[in-house]
Amino acid sequence: MRPIVWRWFVVSSMMVAGLAAGAETRPQYGGVLPVALRAAPASLDPADVSQNDSQDSAQADSFARRSLAGLMFDTLLSADDNGRIQPSLATAWQAVPGSQRWQFRVRRGVKFHDGAPLTAETAAASLRAANPSWNVVADADSVVIESSDANLLAELALPRNAIVKRTTDNKPSGTGPFRVVDWQPGKRLSLAAWEDYWRGRPFIDAIEIELGKSFRDQMSALELGKADLVEVAPEQARRVSQDGRRLASSSPVELLALLFTRDVASADEKLLREALALSVERGSIRNVLLQGVGEPTGGILPNWMSGYGFVFPVDADLPRARQEREQVRGRPTWILGYDGSDPLARLLAERIALNAKDAGLLLQPAATPTAELRLVRIPLASPDPWIALAGVASLAGLPTAKSHDGVEDLYALEVGMLATQRVIPLFHLPVSYASATRLESWTLRPDGSFSLADAWLASDRQ
Amino acid sequence: MRRAAYNLGIPNLSANPLCRVLTLAHLLRAVALLSFLLPSVAARVSDWNEPEQQLARKIVSVSGPGAIFLTVENRSSLSKRDNEIIQNGLRAALEGVGMRFVTLEQAAATVAIYLSENTASYVWVAEIRQGSAAAVVVMVSVPRAEGSTSAREPVPLSLRKISLWTQADPILDVAVLEENGAPTHIAVLDAEKVALYRWQAGKWQQEQMFGIVHARPWPRDLRGRLIPARDHLLDVYLPGVICRSAVGAPLALNCRETDDPWPLVPAGGGAGSISIPLMGAFFAPTRNFFTGALTPGVCKSTTVSKFYSAAWLPRDKYLLWLFAATDGHVHMVDGVSDQTARIAWGSDLTSVKTSCGAGWQVLATSPEANAEETGDSMRAYEFPDRDPVAVSAAIDFPGMIRALWTEAKGDTAIAVVKNRETGSYEAYRVAVVCSQ
Repeated sequence: MRPIVWRWFVVSSMMVAGLAAGAETRPQYGGVLPVALRAAPASLDPADVSQNDSQDSAQADSFARRSLAGLMFDTLLSADDNGRIQPSLATAWQAVPGSQRWQFRVRRGVKFHDGAPLTAETAAASLRAANPSWNVVADADSVVIESSDANLLAELALPRNAIVKRTTDNKPSGTGPFRVVDWQPGKRLSLAAWEDYWRGRPFIDAIEIELGKSFRDQMSALELGKADLVEVAPEQARRVSQDGRRLASSSPVELLALLFTRDVASADEKLLREALALSVERGSIRNVLLQGVGEPTGGILPNWMSGYGFVFPVDADLPRARQEREQVRGRPTWILGYDGSDPLARLLAERIALNAKDAGLLLQPAATPTAELRLVRIPLASPDPWIALAGVASLAGLPTAKSHDGVEDLYALEVGMLATQRVIPLFHLPVSYASATRLESWTLRPDGSFSLADAWLASDRQ
Repeated sequence: MRRAAYNLGIPNLSANPLCRVLTLAHLLRAVALLSFLLPSVAARVSDWNEPEQQLARKIVSVSGPGAIFLTVENRSSLSKRDNEIIQNGLRAALEGVGMRFVTLEQAAATVAIYLSENTASYVWVAEIRQGSAAAVVVMVSVPRAEGSTSAREPVPLSLRKISLWTQADPILDVAVLEENGAPTHIAVLDAEKVALYRWQAGKWQQEQMFGIVHARPWPRDLRGRLIPARDHLLDVYLPGVICRSAVGAPLALNCRETDDPWPLVPAGGGAGSISIPLMGAFFAPTRNFFTGALTPGVCKSTTVSKFYSAAWLPRDKYLLWLFAATDGHVHMVDGVSDQTARIAWGSDLTSVKTSCGAGWQVLATSPEANAEETGDSMRAYEFPDRDPVAVSAAIDFPGMIRALWTEAKGDTAIAVVKNRETGSYEAYRVAVVCSQ
């Protein structure tokens, strides 16, 4: 028996170099925090999903972009560590009885970074721009949304629905804890503490974010003291921890999967896809390529999110895979596309191709985003399982449920998605960050992004 | 469809049921009693009967009544005791719908039940296999009961903590306004209000609540103090705002924006009040520290380094002040010199006058940088000379200590902790106990 206690996020390893030698446990104001990230967004607008941070379109909603959005913008609602919806820019909300209308009362006294007050009109305009299919209007001090989306409250807590004041010069203004000082798209972002932040000015004076840095460059920057917070590749997490660095890892919030871009076209193709799914040796891939990080999965949602993830088999079954393969005449070759900027992706693709070959399938790995079969890393959109599943469905071009009642409906939806054979789940991966010892009280959110609103820099940490 | 909700800005307050411990001796008895009671309370908070019946009905709707081979596996954080209770309940529920338990060879179906969980609830999953057909999966979800933490009491008796109040919103300070062996009337300060509670009919009942008016957003790491007064009920000190309760009835709270100094030494009434000179310090209105400006000052010294907290130790001919400065050092100021020391303390310290040891002790929080995750601790120190000597074992707290202030009488302190397990804020009275 192995009790599983998943919290929203787990600090898997906090290798603190040493205790503070003085009175430093209360947060200190001041300082500049250097951060390095791999993503290189071309826009700061959290609703702009058209951009491509990498070759993989799933990365348009990368953890880095979520983190950046949280620094500059607020949402109407937020989700706490237990997934419960909490007030943010909306102080109260209610469903209008007998309709699909929701009313959200907008917080008073909140200012955008340009000094303009937050109003119901600006909030409504922001949500309309991010969700063209929603009917959103301002009504006195409230925003009224008409939507059949059963997940509306959780949707409003997503970074993509942050309240943004969009101006004609294409410089989005937010109400978040930090304001933009300098923005060089894809390269560099300079932020300063927003003195009038409605939740209280952040402790840190400024954040300097270098974008587009490889994992290796990020780790070098941390070691040289040029960055205090960096991302860590999943396969490097264990080594970083063993090196005595401060490492924080989330719950598994990223799905690594094989994704077919089209539906099954024939009975033969169905058998071949089954054979491919049965051929992948997830356990040994985890042990070798992922260095023991991540959880092998046969389901789309991680178990901590659904509670039933373990029912999907994960073990390879090569005899059965061969049996399925042998029922099909001919030997088609699939191009297995992967993200060429991700060194782990190439290794994984090659290993999956080897496994497939053992089952009699031909896979040809290639660093291309246009292949019919792709190895993808999908950041799960939310800790809310319905939204997470809908996000994967959207990416895979699959329909999703409009309403739902309970965990059995969720299971049925997931089983239905898997039955299409468009997605072959492989692993759920955590997101890891390494930080300098002087950086205190930064937090990992349940969605794998980081928050620096409460972070502070110890002045003399030894 | 999820239930429509209209949230209120102020979550419900919940009085800690442990807060009515009368004396320290009673506290010890209560701790001993609790160690027996807690497991039964935990067992009681979850009623598993309904989901057991529900899952049994779902299973029988797939397999039909008859002989089954049953396995149950706990894959959740349920305790061993709860696991046993649920397994027995499931077996009874399955028998109630016509199931018989047999060996694998005799079974018409196998049923594997997994007690799992997600972030919102427990998820009980049953995999039902009949012959060579694919397994059918049914499941029920069970709302998770709020977690409870067991109180852990350290062995040494030098420092004792007594739970006063627990609530979801951050507590800035708690003042005991009346007591009769145990507190009977308290004030609780949080970011937006002062609430008065009176112990009546065996429980805390809210007496009055006063909103705090402030024009500017509060700074992060908000701090505040409640000071009971002689001629009126109390004063409230917050960054840039001071509130004073009205004299006489009806009770009201009048707040004004001001940078007037906060009292460092409590000057409340009572038999044990401190007979040392009053000292005020200016608090930065947009920060979490005192600016270092003192009034009237330590002798001629009216400015010290910016500091988070202060403690005082009367000497024969002078008063030694200790300031936990924002630079991470402890500054020892006696009016003649300002010595800087790196002492392994946290940011919060204060003084208490007792009948133990040298008569005055400094209570200091731990320097543990990771206290948010691991919990905090506090220790009592004396200063025979200029170096601190620990005179008590560390007392543990279930989370980081967010506030530490000496109470009005001067012989005890209030510590506020954010419980790392429950996320709630808990206020404790901390006392030094002699001869243990």
